[in-house]
Amino acid sequence: MSAISSDVPAVEITDLVKTFTQGRRTLVQRVRHAPDQRRQHRAVDDLNLRVEAGEIFGVLGPNGAGKTTTLRILATLLEPTSGQARVLGLDVNERPREIRRRLGAVLAGERSLYWKLTGRENLEYYAALYHMPARQVKGRIAAILEDMELTDRADDYVERYSTGMRQRLILARALLPDPPLLMLDEPTVGLDPQAAHHLRERIVRLSKQGRTVLLTTHYMEEADQLCDRIAIIDHGRIVALGTPAELKRTVRAAQVVRLEAAVGSENGAFLDRLSSLATVARHDRVDGHMTATVHCQSAREFVPVAFDAAMAVGATIQHVEVIPVTLEDVFLALTGRALRE
Amino acid sequence: MLAADLRAFYAAALKEWRIMRRYPTVFIGILFWPLILPGVYVLQANGFGAGDGQALHAFAARTGTLQVAGFLYVGGAIYMWLSVVLWGPGSALREEQTRGSLEQQFLTPVSRLVLLFGSAPAHLVQAFWMFLVIGIVLGTLFHVPIGAGTAVRALVVIAISVPAFLGLGALFAALVLRFKEVNGTVQLLRGVFQVLCGVTFPIVVLPLWAQAIAVTLPPTHVIADIRSVVLSGASLPSLAPDLLVLTGLSALMCVMAALVFQRCERDSRRNGALGQY
Repeated sequence: MSAISSDVPAVEITDLVKTFTQGRRTLVQRVRHAPDQRRQHRAVDDLNLRVEAGEIFGVLGPNGAGKTTTLRILATLLEPTSGQARVLGLDVNERPREIRRRLGAVLAGERSLYWKLTGRENLEYYAALYHMPARQVKGRIAAILEDMELTDRADDYVERYSTGMRQRLILARALLPDPPLLMLDEPTVGLDPQAAHHLRERIVRLSKQGRTVLLTTHYMEEADQLCDRIAIIDHGRIVALGTPAELKRTVRAAQVVRLEAAVGSENGAFLDRLSSLATVARHDRVDGHMTATVHCQSAREFVPVAFDAAMAVGATIQHVEVIPVTLEDVFLALTGRALRE
Repeated sequence: MLAADLRAFYAAALKEWRIMRRYPTVFIGILFWPLILPGVYVLQANGFGAGDGQALHAFAARTGTLQVAGFLYVGGAIYMWLSVVLWGPGSALREEQTRGSLEQQFLTPVSRLVLLFGSAPAHLVQAFWMFLVIGIVLGTLFHVPIGAGTAVRALVVIAISVPAFLGLGALFAALVLRFKEVNGTVQLLRGVFQVLCGVTFPIVVLPLWAQAIAVTLPPTHVIADIRSVVLSGASLPSLAPDLLVLTGLSALMCVMAALVFQRCERDSRRNGALGQY
């Protein structure tokens, strides 16, 4: 692995903007000189970010938040509209080929493999594309296959692999250039819980080898468990940045209480009473039933008074769940929306 | 860097070849079509003018040969090669795009030309297999004398034509990257080439404006030169001027393909179209 100087950040993004044109303009509209009704959508909106060498950095956000677009700019697949992005100290616009030589990226799913080739043949092909010296190919591939526990099945066609094995092979492919920086876009999507768990363990091991890992995810538990630092991103902007513990402290609550109550036809009185007792981060009301997510310092103190409040307005609490603060609550507190919406 | 890219080119060709040979029915199809497709035109020609000396002499006056079957099978062979060239690299690139592996390859430092031309040698194997079938058919069924010397000269012409066809295929493949559709465009182009390049008839029967376009198309020269070699025993020096034109057109096609591909890649990096299908 080619080392990165600890002074040079693995990734440095300054005022990054990526705009896409949305909508269509047909040939007929062009010929008729009809007004152009396409919209400009800012997928990445003035993003500033610095990922230090050696850390596992997570970009967390809902679908469409701009995570993948950011990663694709860093991987030199997309040109930024404005701003600057540097990977391993190299500018993505000026030195894309040098970046590709030193970057391991997992951006596409299991279909990006050649299913009619064996696992080993897939890696041999990509080793050539990464310009790996011929004399190193065999040994390097054998070592990576061993590390990914694929040696036994290396000469089977990929079409006979399980989803977890394909994901491991994709990770193996990204490791071919022995990259100091690994970019993983939603690495555990589509994996069963056990395979996802094993992949997370591998990511931690790769980090311990001295690699920087930059990953996107919309699984808050994954980000919480894996990442040294997290940027929460929404509408192309960073809304929070810090260690998981720092981010959770921004919620100003020690515990989260989720309530379900039958409120009948009462007109918001229960919600008003709850709001006077603690922070109601979110509530939904459907057909006389209300669900609420409440941030409080102590569930032990809050829950009894919540029952009293319900009784006072003729509502009935049917279910109470007390959970620790998660990154989901951080996102909720910052945006008023859930990550999975 | 060049050596590394050449190794990558070999790896790309090997990858394509391995995938191709793991679908063996492709080769059965190639055994069948070279026999049937020109055969239909031979039967048609027999139906219209067999045994009629006047018709045969008119044909010979326009083509320089009395070998109707040979004329049609050579045209058919080049037409099928053209089809392989148009379907092959374009479809391969398109498949890479829909699979997501194209983007993955763009993440590597390899020259983009490797991705553009890498699948071509495997398709060339397909084409040579087809030429072999047609050569056997001409020699055994139609008694066209193809000796070792003729075969070598024909192979030399084919070898000189390879860059032109490579360029044509790559140019088309580059456009596929932009327009994301293969079938309709292949059908259109095949139709145009079939009419303008004299696949089943001598181009002298075309209007003058169409003949003017025909001479700018590499397949026209390839068909004419191979017919001269196989049916009239022409020597290579006698074909030199035409082969020179063909070489020029080849270079032009390859450069155009590289430029179009470069442009498409740049546009894709701007609008994110590389991963879209």
